[in-house]
Amino acid sequence: MILENLRSAFEALAANRLRSVLTLLGVMIGVFAVTTTVSLGAIATAGITGQLQAFGNQALFITPNEDNPASTAFSDADIDALSRLPVSVLRQRSVRGVARAGTEEASLVLNGVTANAPQVDRTIKLARGRYFSEDEDRRAAPVMVLSADAREALFPSDPNPVGREVSVTVGSSRTFYTVIGAKEPLTGAFSFAASASADVPLQTLYQVYPSVTRGEYPFLPLTVSLERDLGDIEAQVGAVLARRRGADTFRIQTIEGALTLFKTITTILQAVLGGIGAVSLLVGGIGILNIMLVSVTERTREIGLRKALGARKGVILQQFLIEAVALTVVGGLIGLAAAIGTLYLAVALVPFLDQVVLSPFTVLLGLFVSVVTGIVFGVWPASRAANLSPIEALRYE
Amino acid sequence: MTLAAGGARPGPPPPVIDAEGLEKSYARESGLEVRALRGLDLRVQRGEYLAIMGPSGSGKSTLLQILGCLDAPTAGSYRLAGEEVARMDEDALAEVRNRRIGFVFQAFNLLPGASALRNVALPLMYRGVRPGQRAERAAAALARVGLADRLDHRPNELSGGQRQRVAIARALVTEPDILLADEPTGNLDSRTGREVLALFDALHDEGRTVLLVTHEAEVAERTDRVVHIRDGRVESIQTAGPRAAAPVGAAPEGAP
Repeated sequence: MILENLRSAFEALAANRLRSVLTLLGVMIGVFAVTTTVSLGAIATAGITGQLQAFGNQALFITPNEDNPASTAFSDADIDALSRLPVSVLRQRSVRGVARAGTEEASLVLNGVTANAPQVDRTIKLARGRYFSEDEDRRAAPVMVLSADAREALFPSDPNPVGREVSVTVGSSRTFYTVIGAKEPLTGAFSFAASASADVPLQTLYQVYPSVTRGEYPFLPLTVSLERDLGDIEAQVGAVLARRRGADTFRIQTIEGALTLFKTITTILQAVLGGIGAVSLLVGGIGILNIMLVSVTERTREIGLRKALGARKGVILQQFLIEAVALTVVGGLIGLAAAIGTLYLAVALVPFLDQVVLSPFTVLLGLFVSVVTGIVFGVWPASRAANLSPIEALRYE
Repeated sequence: MTLAAGGARPGPPPPVIDAEGLEKSYARESGLEVRALRGLDLRVQRGEYLAIMGPSGSGKSTLLQILGCLDAPTAGSYRLAGEEVARMDEDALAEVRNRRIGFVFQAFNLLPGASALRNVALPLMYRGVRPGQRAERAAAALARVGLADRLDHRPNELSGGQRQRVAIARALVTEPDILLADEPTGNLDSRTGREVLALFDALHDEGRTVLLVTHEAEVAERTDRVVHIRDGRVESIQTAGPRAAAPVGAAPEGAP
């Protein structure tokens, strides 16, 4: 009986092909928006995770607690204590200055770091040249590695500035550095952190800028290998620092926190799409309701005949309900297909997203939404059909 | 009067139709009450061939609706094949229609999108017969009305006479207790009409109970008995016609 009803449903829809297509448009858009929304969330999450994996490490970022006046910068002894944990600590001090190369001039952050920086910070990738060596750090060599933004600002027409000179003025002192490398631009989720900066050996920074006190670090970037549990390490780091410095003298941030903005954007996008989806489903559902009422009126005689031949109320109800659901499910399937196409397109175009994540849950959700829309908006017309009196229906012209 | 309870006893089978004191009134929108049936009695024996005639407004359509279990009488009793149906609810009536009644309508009422075979199989679907068996029985019914070679034709590929024969096959397929035909030749030319009537004659000869509603004397003449309706009552019963086999009235019931 259900099969027979299904068959007559599709025959009825095929008999009014244009009308059916126009009707299912609303549901199509609704299901499209809903599935895209859900998948987009999953894809964005996967994108973030993927970026972090590409980063190669998990990261922690420790700063003094600015609300606590007793909280001071971190010391070498702090770093030595932390280094006993399975973490890598990067010693880093920065100064801000004005850089000049030829006629170009730009504001520049000089990061004094140790030579192991590329191992600790996997976002460092060199486009040209090389990173400085431990030996150059020890000797306080005047060499620098430019960020992509700094290279663009100082050498706009030269992709390979290796060997060129850059002067940096900090306060009243002016120092010349030789460029030995240039970094790749930051990609994906990290690109918002891009700035004009240059890495120089930490010892060079100390020597050139005496105002930078040795052994005082205003923040500590830590990396943890992926196999370790980040929460666990975070607790251990906290314990070590609390013992050495006292509680409330530091804050620990994770890199995920830095991606909050990205997540916020995704959430807003999801909310907008979800709203469109809900409105489309409502409008689409009303379209279904309308067309089913028309269909019931048009087929009053048929309903009368079916009743005369022995169709019970429930059977007629089922027939028209199946017809409404068939309509919405066809719309839903088209919407799903469009959503999948769009997701592939989005992944191809947006650098943040690197793979299409399509869970069976999403597909089932799309179908579920279609079926529910069909039932909700089909039940009234179907019950009108079921409650027609057979005499009135047969007499209907 | 005592004979009316015959259905409960062993012995002769109950009449197919045993209606007593049927009344039906409608409330018009004007508030006026229309009494379409005013205490009508009718008894139809198994195997009878009967016509109901009457001018428009006589209540003959209303009678047909009640006899066909499409509507319930306001008052009175209606026993169909021994079963009281006058007070049944809608779903129970649907089942009675499916099991006991084969309808033939003036306008054929076939589903335009479905083949002859599926049209005929429709009542079997509502009875819950399995699909394979449905097709088999529908094909047999179509063969009976001479359309064995038209199973896959849609109504618009068939002539008027063929369409009405598909409708008759649909009425026959459930092996009902009675065939109810409402002006079955009304939409046909006279030659095709005669062919369809010849088919009813043949079905009667096979032992089926056939009730025709008509306003054409020519149609009514073919039957054993003609019941004339006027003002919601039986006006007269006429046992004319060449096919009459037995005097009509109390005789069949009084037989034992």
